[in-house]
Amino acid sequence: MPGAEARAAQTTVFRAKKIVTMNPTQPEATCVAVRDGRILAVGTEAEMDGWGPHVVDSRFGDKVLMPGLVEGHSHLMEGGFWKFAYVGYHDRRGPDGRVWTGLRSFDAVVTRLSEFEREMQDPSEPLLAWGLDPIFFGEQRMTTRELDRVSATRPVAVLHASIHLLNVNTAMLRKAGIDRHTDVEGVARHPDGSPSGELQEFAAMFPVMRAIGNAFKTAGMSDDGLWRFGRVAQLAGVTTATDMLNDWTEEAVEGMARVIGHEDFPVRIVSAYRSLDAPTETEQGLRRLGELRRLNTGKLRFSLVKLVVDGSIQGFTARLRWPGYYDGHPNGIWVVPPNELAGIVERLHGAGAHLHVHTNGDEATEVALDAIEAALARHPRPDHRHTLQHCQMADAAQFRRMAKLGVCVNLFANHVFYWGDAHYTQTMGPDRANRMDACGTALRCGVPFAIHSDAPITPLGPLFTAWCAVNRRTASGRVLGAAERIDVPRALAAITLGAAYTLRMDHEIGSIEVGKRADFCVLEDDPLALSPECLKEARVWGTVMGGRSFEASHG
Amino acid sequence: MGEAAPVAGRIPLTVVGGFLGAGKTTLLNRILAGAAGLRAAVLVNDFGAINVDAAIIGERGGETISLNNGCVCCSIGGDLVDALIRVMSRSPAPEWIVIEASGVSDPWRIAQVGLADPGLELDGVIVMVDGTAAAEDLRNPLLRDTLVRQLMAADVVVLNKRDLAGNSRLREEIGRMVPGALVLEAAHAAVPLEALTGFAAARMLDAERMPSAAPHASHSSQFESVSVAWEGRYSAAHLRTLLARMPAGVLRAKGLVGTDEADASVLQFCGRHGSLRPLEGARAAIPGQVVAIGLAGKLPARALLHALTCARLGEAAVAGARR
Repeated sequence: MPGAEARAAQTTVFRAKKIVTMNPTQPEATCVAVRDGRILAVGTEAEMDGWGPHVVDSRFGDKVLMPGLVEGHSHLMEGGFWKFAYVGYHDRRGPDGRVWTGLRSFDAVVTRLSEFEREMQDPSEPLLAWGLDPIFFGEQRMTTRELDRVSATRPVAVLHASIHLLNVNTAMLRKAGIDRHTDVEGVARHPDGSPSGELQEFAAMFPVMRAIGNAFKTAGMSDDGLWRFGRVAQLAGVTTATDMLNDWTEEAVEGMARVIGHEDFPVRIVSAYRSLDAPTETEQGLRRLGELRRLNTGKLRFSLVKLVVDGSIQGFTARLRWPGYYDGHPNGIWVVPPNELAGIVERLHGAGAHLHVHTNGDEATEVALDAIEAALARHPRPDHRHTLQHCQMADAAQFRRMAKLGVCVNLFANHVFYWGDAHYTQTMGPDRANRMDACGTALRCGVPFAIHSDAPITPLGPLFTAWCAVNRRTASGRVLGAAERIDVPRALAAITLGAAYTLRMDHEIGSIEVGKRADFCVLEDDPLALSPECLKEARVWGTVMGGRSFEASHG
Repeated sequence: MGEAAPVAGRIPLTVVGGFLGAGKTTLLNRILAGAAGLRAAVLVNDFGAINVDAAIIGERGGETISLNNGCVCCSIGGDLVDALIRVMSRSPAPEWIVIEASGVSDPWRIAQVGLADPGLELDGVIVMVDGTAAAEDLRNPLLRDTLVRQLMAADVVVLNKRDLAGNSRLREEIGRMVPGALVLEAAHAAVPLEALTGFAAARMLDAERMPSAAPHASHSSQFESVSVAWEGRYSAAHLRTLLARMPAGVLRAKGLVGTDEADASVLQFCGRHGSLRPLEGARAAIPGQVVAIGLAGKLPARALLHALTCARLGEAAVAGARR
C-alpha cells in the first residue's frame, strides 16, 4: 500500500497494563492508538490492527493510563512561587519533582530558611518564602524573633498560604520603613509595642511589597514562572489546567503565547479574564474575549470570564446568609456589588460569554444564582455551562436551583482537608461544616461538578483532591459530613470529564475515546484497585499530551 | 529583583470610596482636570470612564493617561500594589495620589497604606454617596452593612446628586451614623477641593510662623482655622489621646512639634484619623506649630487650645511660662 510506511510512522499504539477510559461504553482497555496527537482507537491489541501499520510502544506495559487530569481551578502564580522557598505545613512537590517536607514547627521553618540563606550570594538580596499557615500552630504566631535567627542583616519575607499575610524579619521591617510609629491595624506588635513582623492585609503588606518590587506577583507571569507551573501540573498527572484570574494585558498574553505555545510545555491552559465591576471593564472583557479568541490554539485558550462575588471563608470575608459566622465574626465582603451583579451577568451572558463565578459563602451563591436566573429569563441559552467556583456552603435547595438553571459547580474539595477543622470549630460550626463542598448533594441533584485545588492556595494535585472528595478527612482526621462523600469512580470523573465539562472541553478531553486528544495521566498504580483511603498515594509516572510523553522524573 | 525608586518626602494620599454611580468618576475627572492645582496621580478602576478635555491629554497608553497639566491617570486593573508602586516611582514624584476604591470595597482597608508606607501620608478618605439611592441601599439587607462600613471609614462624606434627591433625612441619618465626619451636599460632585484635603492646613503650617503662643485664627468664607504656636515639648501620649478624641468640629489638623519621643514629630489629623510620628529627614522649619481647620463658626478653638495646653510636658511647660 503506498504511503503505508509513512502512515505507520504516524500511528503509535500505547500498550498499558490497564486503561481506565472514563467512557462508560468501554470502561477499560489495554491499548490506545494515537495518530496526529489524537486518539484513533481504544481496545485490545488485536482491535488496533484494522487501522493498518503502526508502531507499538510498550513503555507503559506495567502502568495504568487514565485520561489526562484536568485542574479546573488553579492560578499560574503557583509556578512563580516556586522561585521562592516553600515553608508550608504540608508536604508539597516542587517543579523539579522534589518533595519538600511540611514544616511542623517554627524552628523547622528557620532551619529551611537558613539553608536557603546560606546559598545566596548577594548579601542585600531579600530572601523570600511562601506557604506559611499559622492556622496549624494554634495560638503561636511567628515573629521577628524567629526570622531574625535566619539573618540579622538580610531582609526576609514569608508570605502566608492565604497570601493575605506576611511575616518579615527586623532587617525587612527596616528596609520597608515599618517601625513602632507605624500606626496601622495590620501591623501586629510585640508586647512592648514594636512591630512583631506579622503584617496583615494590603496596607500593612504594601511597604514590603514595594521594597521587594512586587516580586511574588511578577514572578507568576514571568517565563520562568509559567514553565514552573507547567512542570508542577505535569508532575501531578495534569494535561489541562486553568488560569482562573488574568487581566489579559498585552504583555501577559504575549508571554503566555510564547511559553505555553512552546512544544515542550507540557500542559494545555484555559485562561479566564478577570472582570471587574466597573462598567467599562465589562465591555473591555468582551472586547478582549473577541480579540484573543483568534489566538486560541490547542494548547492555550482565552475562553472564560471570571467574576468574583465575595471573599474567603477562612479569611471571614465570604458572604454568609443567616446565621452567619459561627464565632460571631461580622459578615464578609462583596467584591462585585450584589445589586450590580445581575446587570453584569446579563451583559456578559447576553454577549455569549462563558462565566465562572467565584462564590464562597451561601449568600454570594444565592445572589449569583439570582443573577444567572434573571439573565436566562431574558436571553434563554441552553447549555451555557456557567459555573459556580468554590461554592463551598451551598445547601441542597441551591443545588436544586443550579440543576434547574443548567449551572455547573466546581467544588473546593481540598478545603475539607486543609481547613475542615477550622470550619468545624470556628467559621461554620459542625452542621454547616459537614455540608461544605457537597459533592454528594451535587451528584444527587444532578448538577455537573468538578473539584479543585485553587493552587497555589492548596497544592495542585487532582488525585489528592479526589481523595478529599472520597474520604472527607480533615487534617486532624475527622470525617466531615460522611453523607457528602462520593465513590472513587465518581471522584475520578470529577477530575477528568467533570472538569472538562465546566470548561466546555468535554468533547476534546476528559476521557479516552476515539477522536479526543491523546492526553493521558500515566500511573504506576491503578486508582480503582487502591483502597479509597489510599487514593492520594497513587504514584504518577508522568503524562502524555497530544501523543507525546512527559516523564515526571525527567526535566 | 526590581526595586522601586525611593520617594522624596511623603506623598499625600486620598482614597475616594462609594458605590457605583455615586459620582466618584466625576470627582476624579475634576481632579485630573487640574482642579487642585497639583501634580496629581489618580488610580482608577473604571479607566474607560475617565473623561478629560482632549486638549490637555499628553500621552494615552493602555493603562496610563498623562496630561499636560502634570496629572496622570492610571488603571488599577487587578493589582493595586503594582499600580501604586508605579505611580510612587514616577519622576517627578506626584504631589498627590488619589486612589479610587472599587464600588463595594471598604476604603479604609486601602487608606491605611497612607499610614503604613513611609513614602505616603494619609490625607483622608472621601466617600461619595448617591443621594437618590442611599436611603434605599441602607434598607437593603444585602447592601446596608457594606454602605455603613464605607461611611464609618469616611473623613468626608459627599452627599451627591442634591439636585435630584432633595431630602434632608438622609443627611441627618448619615450625620448620626458618622458623627465625626464632615458631610457635604453637592450636585455633580462639585465640592471645594480644599474641603476634601488637608492641603490648606499644610500650606498654613508652612506659611504661618506665629511668634506668640496665643492662638491665631483666620477666616475664609466656608472654613476657619486656628493656629497654636508653642516651642516647648509635648507629651506624645497626650497628643495621641487628643488625636483619638479630637473635639468635634475639627476637620483637619497638622503640626510639627517637639515631643518626649523626638525633637520634631509630625502631627496629622484628617476627619477622624490622626497620627503622630517622628519626622524623617531634615526640615527647615522649627517645630512648634499646630494648625487646625473646621467649618466656619464650628471650629472648637477653645477646646483645642485647652487640650494642647494640657498635653504640654510639665518641665517644658514651666520653661514656657517663664519666657
